[in-house]
Amino acid sequence: MRQPILRAKNLVKRFSVGRSSSYVNAVNGVDLTIHRGEILGMVGESGSGKSTIGRTLLRLTDPTEGLIEFDGRDITSLSAKELRPLRKDMQMVFQDPWSALNPRMKIGDLIAEPLRIHLKLSEPDLRDRTELLAKKVRLSTEFLNRTPSALSGGQLQRVCIARAIATNPKLIILDEPTSSLDLSVRAGILELLMELREETQAGFLFISHDLGTIKLISDTIAVLYLGRIVELVPKEALFNEPAHPYSQSLLSAHLPADLDAPIQRLILEGEIPSPIDLPSGCSFHTRCPAAVDVCKTATPQPELIAQNHHVSCLRLKDGGNILSRQQA
Amino acid sequence: MPPSVTHQLTWPRRTANRVRGLSRLSPTAAAGVVIIVCFGVLALFSEWFMTHDPVSSYPDRILQGPSYEHWFGTDGNGMDIFSRVIYGAKFGFGIAIPAVIIAVLIGIPVGLIAGYRGGALDEILMRIFDGLRVFPSIILALAVVAATGQSLLNVVLVLGFLDSPVFARLVRAEVLALRSSNFVESAIAAGNPTWRILFFHLLPNTIQGAMAQTAVRAAWAVRISATLAFLGIGIQAPTPEWGAMIRQGAEFMVTGQWWVAIFPGIALIFLVFGLNLLGDGIQDILDPRRRASK
Repeated sequence: MRQPILRAKNLVKRFSVGRSSSYVNAVNGVDLTIHRGEILGMVGESGSGKSTIGRTLLRLTDPTEGLIEFDGRDITSLSAKELRPLRKDMQMVFQDPWSALNPRMKIGDLIAEPLRIHLKLSEPDLRDRTELLAKKVRLSTEFLNRTPSALSGGQLQRVCIARAIATNPKLIILDEPTSSLDLSVRAGILELLMELREETQAGFLFISHDLGTIKLISDTIAVLYLGRIVELVPKEALFNEPAHPYSQSLLSAHLPADLDAPIQRLILEGEIPSPIDLPSGCSFHTRCPAAVDVCKTATPQPELIAQNHHVSCLRLKDGGNILSRQQA
Repeated sequence: MPPSVTHQLTWPRRTANRVRGLSRLSPTAAAGVVIIVCFGVLALFSEWFMTHDPVSSYPDRILQGPSYEHWFGTDGNGMDIFSRVIYGAKFGFGIAIPAVIIAVLIGIPVGLIAGYRGGALDEILMRIFDGLRVFPSIILALAVVAATGQSLLNVVLVLGFLDSPVFARLVRAEVLALRSSNFVESAIAAGNPTWRILFFHLLPNTIQGAMAQTAVRAAWAVRISATLAFLGIGIQAPTPEWGAMIRQGAEFMVTGQWWVAIFPGIALIFLVFGLNLLGDGIQDILDPRRRASK
């Protein structure tokens, strides 16, 4: 097995709402491990807590409960100052490249910034490395003197990626890095990321709401629903035999490459419930076609059903797998 | 290449942009620029324009009206008012510019830190600054200068300190709006220490409003320093400072020697007027919202 770089145990993040005593339960007990050289895809609807998990794992917000272990070291309660040297090895790419870059800094300085902070380099070395990084993300070095306003979204995202890989980090978290980009640009960015995975052997967490993108890029996929991982599964297994009813409905909404293939739509009713009033028991029971009474009271725990395939569903054993049941 | 990974090409182009920016000034702002430049020349090269020594007294020519020899007449000490008015421009700028620089150097870092850190530190700093602004600045300046000693340096320091809340407030408001922005979070994620976030990321993006205020605040400093001198605080009588000259001339107004107070008064009005015109023009350029609302 590959070396784990980030491990989270029972991660919980609640935001208080105004001055009242109610909370937004953004993340509700997440366990995950990211290994070096692996791309873990995290997929879920809007409001499922994807971005919050990403930001909490890097301690950009503080977890309410749980444990975060980076490179074998507990970083859950390190101070901002203690975290700073570690940030050399853990970087992030944000969703919206237009707002993620200081509009008054030059592209060259933006790319060089992590190098300048973390490595003591002479100015000529710094310049060489900056140009090298620009080339690596296929960004023309002419842009190094421009400010972000002169670049397109795809080019800006390349700048963000260059920044993220500048110090050869061991972990890179990508929070919907392609969802604000055109399809044509998106393909180029994904290709670049897959190249970088081979080269850097860093661990990647790729957050997205788009199953197609996740399918293309990930090795392992975490399916998120209301701040819980309902299924953690190797990519092939998810697309061949999704086990959790929510994963099944997600997949059935996803258009397969082969348009003639028979698809069975499993359309969920209603909206994702408010994270302020979490449903009792299994939080998916309000929309689950396979839900029975016990789902309203008991909280499902992750169960290993195949190699590296964890599912949290109470109806796994007694025919809760609705897709195959309907097919039968 | 210090201190940025960029090429030399850029700064002449930036300067060219700035010159072009000047041409965007409105006619009134351009008038302000002309007035300031004239006074600036007078202040820097007073010696070329003065017809007499500004502090030599001619005992035989006390309180003479404007004449060919003394264009603006002479004052109660028999000193040439024209030369004194010109020399006074040195005091106008010499007080206003360092006072504004001090106000900026205190106010902007305080605004940055208070806005970014928030919490108790923000509360304490802002309450101190609110306290400063409760009193009319002239009363406070009067009290502080009287207490710390009557010198030009003290006037400059006090004015700079009293005016720093203006800049702190402006910067703090902008920092509050930006501190949870994506690019600041991305700077934190990259591992920036706080000082780099403050000075490389927040400062360049929050300083426009404060910079737009500098000319207007310089006008304020000119006015307040002249008022202090008029009240006899800080700068004393024979010094060719406009406020002090107006004070001296005020006694003679009733007896008909109008020229002693009028000429420094006109100079003061023009300098303050010019700075305010320029200040409005800069604000229009730097703050598009303001321009749009006109």
